[in-house]
Amino acid sequence: MDNRIYLHIDMNSYFASVEQQANPFLRGKPIAITGKHSDDPEQTRSVVTTASIEAKRLGVKTAMSTWQAKRICPSLILYPGDPEKYADITHRFNAIFQEFTHNVHQFSVDESFLDVTEQAKDSLGALYIAQTIRERLKEEYGAWITASIGIGPTKLMAKLAGESVKPNGLTIVYPDELLSFIDTRPLEDLCGIGPKMHQRLNELGLFTFKDIRACDPTYLQETFNSYGIWLYESAHGKDSSAILSSLEKSVFTTNSSSTYAPPKSVGHSYTLPHDTHDPLEIKRYLLALSDNVAWRLRRDGLLARRVKLTLRYSDFTYTSQQKLFQEPLADGYKIFQNAWSILKQIYCAEESVRLVGVSVSELFQGSEQQPLFLEDRKRSALTKALDTIQRRYGSSSWTRATLLHTKLKNRSSGFHFDHEQ
Amino acid sequence: MHTFIHDPIDVTVSFSQNKILPKLIRWNERDYKIETVNLVHTTREGNKRIFYFSVSDLTNYFKLKLDSEYLEWYLVELYTDG
Repeated sequence: MDNRIYLHIDMNSYFASVEQQANPFLRGKPIAITGKHSDDPEQTRSVVTTASIEAKRLGVKTAMSTWQAKRICPSLILYPGDPEKYADITHRFNAIFQEFTHNVHQFSVDESFLDVTEQAKDSLGALYIAQTIRERLKEEYGAWITASIGIGPTKLMAKLAGESVKPNGLTIVYPDELLSFIDTRPLEDLCGIGPKMHQRLNELGLFTFKDIRACDPTYLQETFNSYGIWLYESAHGKDSSAILSSLEKSVFTTNSSSTYAPPKSVGHSYTLPHDTHDPLEIKRYLLALSDNVAWRLRRDGLLARRVKLTLRYSDFTYTSQQKLFQEPLADGYKIFQNAWSILKQIYCAEESVRLVGVSVSELFQGSEQQPLFLEDRKRSALTKALDTIQRRYGSSSWTRATLLHTKLKNRSSGFHFDHEQ
Repeated sequence: MHTFIHDPIDVTVSFSQNKILPKLIRWNERDYKIETVNLVHTTREGNKRIFYFSVSDLTNYFKLKLDSEYLEWYLVELYTDG
């Protein structure tokens, strides 16, 4: 593998720092950005999507429930997320990265990888680019939105380096220091080793990267299949994944036999404002979610063959079931009808429902066939007209009469934005 | 205090350095002099572009919305320190 130079850029406490930049009265205070703007002033049904640096110091963690976070930190300010704001900032900082190289991979809403091998030429050049990017971010957004930057010969090492110093770190791992650096990091710091895998590795007597390197790679492969090979190579600091520029991606797509791979599924789930037994209330949310899913299918020119319904009860137990459609479709009402028929079979009426989810799968590119019956043709024409209105005026431009008082609020998430789905 | 609203307002702005800088807002018959423009971001409502200005004076944070199609200003969020 030739020597490449990667930057990993991770915005620190991203959502929280954006809000602290926007609102100076939040600066220096422990704040937690919650999942969605809620009618519940205490926000007891939400989770912490991001905690500010001040909150993290006091023990507040991402994904903690809000009531738990307030118990740990009574002075914590719960602030509803603003996903449209974060999405715009994300697009803009990735546009800044594109000024330095076309080989940018947006890894999540607040992390990106840059391949700066050609632009930097060497480590000193990479450091200069990293510092310049830091200055550009400060100039564009203000001093409160900061980033930790890691520089390394592989994406994996660049990420490990960047995460070793937070906030506002700048860490470089030279090619001849790979092993000595990786040996200073705990296993769970490596992207790809989660808490369960970490526990499993410990149970096998593997506590450090040195332990993994000392393993027979055949044993790792037999135990973990291809993941075992990845584990062995990663423990050596190796990572063969590269970043394609958008030009290379378009050439690859044109030359490959399958030009487009649709997603495996499209879905929406929603935590209700309050736990409920009321089938009518559940029905309304299910219809709203089905319409959202259908819009995304039609927007992307997709049809679905299967629907899955998920319910979470107030005791946090789950139930779900799926079924095949009679024919492929992208109609919100038909998705709802199928999902509702599943719900009637699986819903335990003694339990309160906390969350409803609907997803569709077995997706492929296509459009619905022209319906035979007049009523279906009218609905199809209406859907087309409503799609045109939605594209022009946005998602809040129309709603069904039955959903006038049922509003799905956008959530803040670490990996995607609802309003961009 | 933290409130979400959608009140039409009058805004005095300056155009300088290729930026729009709100200087003064008039809301509920009271004037608020803007000390800092902290952040500007944009979103889309369908084809329409909406600009949001996160600004503050000495005690209040205001989120202002500019509808670029109708050139209308709204106060959409207010946070008062203390």
